[in-house]
Amino acid sequence: MAVTRFTKMAYAKADDMVFGKAVKPVKAGLGLEIGAGYTTPEVNYAPRPEAGASKEKLIKEYERITTDIMARMVQIGAPSVVLETEHVQQMTNNPSWGAEVAHAQKTIMENYHDEYGIKCALRHTPGDIREDRDFLKLRGDKYPIFLESFEQCAESGADLLAVESMGGKEVFDYAILRNDMAGILFGIGVLGSMDMEMIWQDIAAIAKKTGTVATGDTDCAQANTAMFIAGGLLDKNLAHTTAIIARAISAARTLVGYEAGAVGPGKDCGYENTIVKSISGVPMAQEGKTSTCAHSDLMGNIVMQCCDLWSNESVEYHGEFGGTTVQCWGETLAYDCSLMNVALQSGNEKVLRDMFVASDMYRDPQGYVLAYPHAYRVGQAIVKDGNDIYLRAKNAALETIKIVEEGARGKLSLSRFEAKALADSKAAFEALTDDKDKFMSDCLTKYKKEVKVFLPENYGL
Amino acid sequence: MEVRHLIDIDPSGILVRYNVQLEKEMTPEDAAEELYPKDPTIYPIAKSIFEGEEDDVVEGLKKAIAAGKDPMGLINGALMPGMGVVSRLYDEGVIFLPNVMMSADAMLEGIEFLKKKVGKAPESKGKIVCHVAEGDVHDIGKSIVVALLRANGYDVIDLGRDVPVDEVIEAVEKEKPLMVTGTALMTTTMYAFKEINDKLMEKGYRIPFACGGGAVNQDFVSQYELGVYGEEASDAPKMADFIKANGNNIVKLRDKFHKH
Repeated sequence: MAVTRFTKMAYAKADDMVFGKAVKPVKAGLGLEIGAGYTTPEVNYAPRPEAGASKEKLIKEYERITTDIMARMVQIGAPSVVLETEHVQQMTNNPSWGAEVAHAQKTIMENYHDEYGIKCALRHTPGDIREDRDFLKLRGDKYPIFLESFEQCAESGADLLAVESMGGKEVFDYAILRNDMAGILFGIGVLGSMDMEMIWQDIAAIAKKTGTVATGDTDCAQANTAMFIAGGLLDKNLAHTTAIIARAISAARTLVGYEAGAVGPGKDCGYENTIVKSISGVPMAQEGKTSTCAHSDLMGNIVMQCCDLWSNESVEYHGEFGGTTVQCWGETLAYDCSLMNVALQSGNEKVLRDMFVASDMYRDPQGYVLAYPHAYRVGQAIVKDGNDIYLRAKNAALETIKIVEEGARGKLSLSRFEAKALADSKAAFEALTDDKDKFMSDCLTKYKKEVKVFLPENYGL
Repeated sequence: MEVRHLIDIDPSGILVRYNVQLEKEMTPEDAAEELYPKDPTIYPIAKSIFEGEEDDVVEGLKKAIAAGKDPMGLINGALMPGMGVVSRLYDEGVIFLPNVMMSADAMLEGIEFLKKKVGKAPESKGKIVCHVAEGDVHDIGKSIVVALLRANGYDVIDLGRDVPVDEVIEAVEKEKPLMVTGTALMTTTMYAFKEINDKLMEKGYRIPFACGGGAVNQDFVSQYELGVYGEEASDAPKMADFIKANGNNIVKLRDKFHKH
């Protein structure tokens, strides 16, 4: 499939962006529409550790999970639900395992849909297995297995296909721990984008062939790693200003999935999704206060601002006082969606959206930049040089720095440490060349020397 | 610039930026300056380690040797005190992890230089075997643990990621470490920790097995006899130091490091 770069915004202005509505809604699964005027909970889960012991145990675990969620949704009168199965490695490495799980889940979902009319869809997210113990092997013998997993899942019941791909991670992991801005930009913006271009053309072709939906990628492997390492206000592992720069760059990378044939809904852990939605117009899943079961993020409400699916990220399946974890978290998601849907139905969506934003916008530089008017500006910076994956990623970083600087002159308080990290980052990005070829050549020389696990052939270089 | 549609609020009524409120008065550079060794041949080496400048570290070592310092003595006399400044300021929240990583790189560069100079390896505080669970390739957490342990003077046997259970056991048998660490991001891979625990128990080993990572939690690690949960990567060198000072009793370690 061809790659068509985005060089203009999908939305005429930031204020047009809202939860539950996307410029390009997506139909999927059993009667479900995403981004077509209502929000839907998306429940995500992880099997208990001992469930990975055999295929039979895994299938049984996912059957229990699926039944629990569907039953609870019906019990509380939720009109729609999406289930996301993020593969454990055995399910992708053995494509028939993932396929059998998808089939078992879809069978249960179909029964609920037939009996109650509940609108639902199943997302499967194979793991990015393209590596061995020592190196990423993005184009090696694992690639056909990786694609086979998508195809078999799609043929067996998955409606939505997603992945969290790893391209660029070997350089990023080195760079993020050393405040190396060029490495962060090279890892996410250049290498990540190049790998995305390859895999998403192939996944989109599989979706077309199987009549399913290619939904897109997130920069979980990199931008979420930065966010996770940055942690809370008092953590001392990474400046939050650095984490949001990585996030902004990741929007330029995540966008490639939609340029290569994906149509959304973008996956929940892409905190860059508001930026990507502003450019692409595709619907998005998001996670925030409902993903505290998985991690803490300082952006609990603000990420709801433009979501179309509302997710809990991932929760281990086990019992709680109120039922199993998937029932408890699924129910919470459904009530959040209910509130958003009331706002949509009564014309109050922008009021609620802006309350979400105001509650977190000044909590941390990350939320400040991702607030939709600022996210929109990062989007504009990306499309300005939309045809150049390097320049657009660099633009995203520079615009982010500018937004945080503006915020610091107003109501956004920065710690001295954050302010210094921001100033250092600014100097580093401003010193970078505007010539992609020169940047590539400098980075290839530098990282081949410094990062032992970096293999240029992974990117066709 | 478009018209903003945001609600105008007073953030101080909504949230507290505790990191801004509690920030230390002293700059990292000022705080480090107070801690550097005063010896004029050692001072520049320690400062270069703090600044993460590898070439300057080696340059400083050359000058110290030329001034008559014993090369092997410079490890404990210059490199470790320099790294000690970094570790202390990281623990106090004055500097952040990337500073530590860059300083650790610089310190290791210095150690390599001295090893070549004298033709033997320096004495370490003890051996520690580190790995990422079988089936799991997410290794940034392990990389941080390894760097922090090395920065604190431990000899790390880094088995890498996706390490088969038996390989961990073999490494323990061969190296006789004072501690093993395991990290995992996914629930289904961390089950390998229990298998490692059981095989170590079966063979009569009673060494602490420090486990942490994205999906790992204290409840899970407490289920197997040798497990000690580390919530932060920075707990790893503290655990190792605790073992050296107080012995390797798992109950004591849990009492000290289990926070929940």
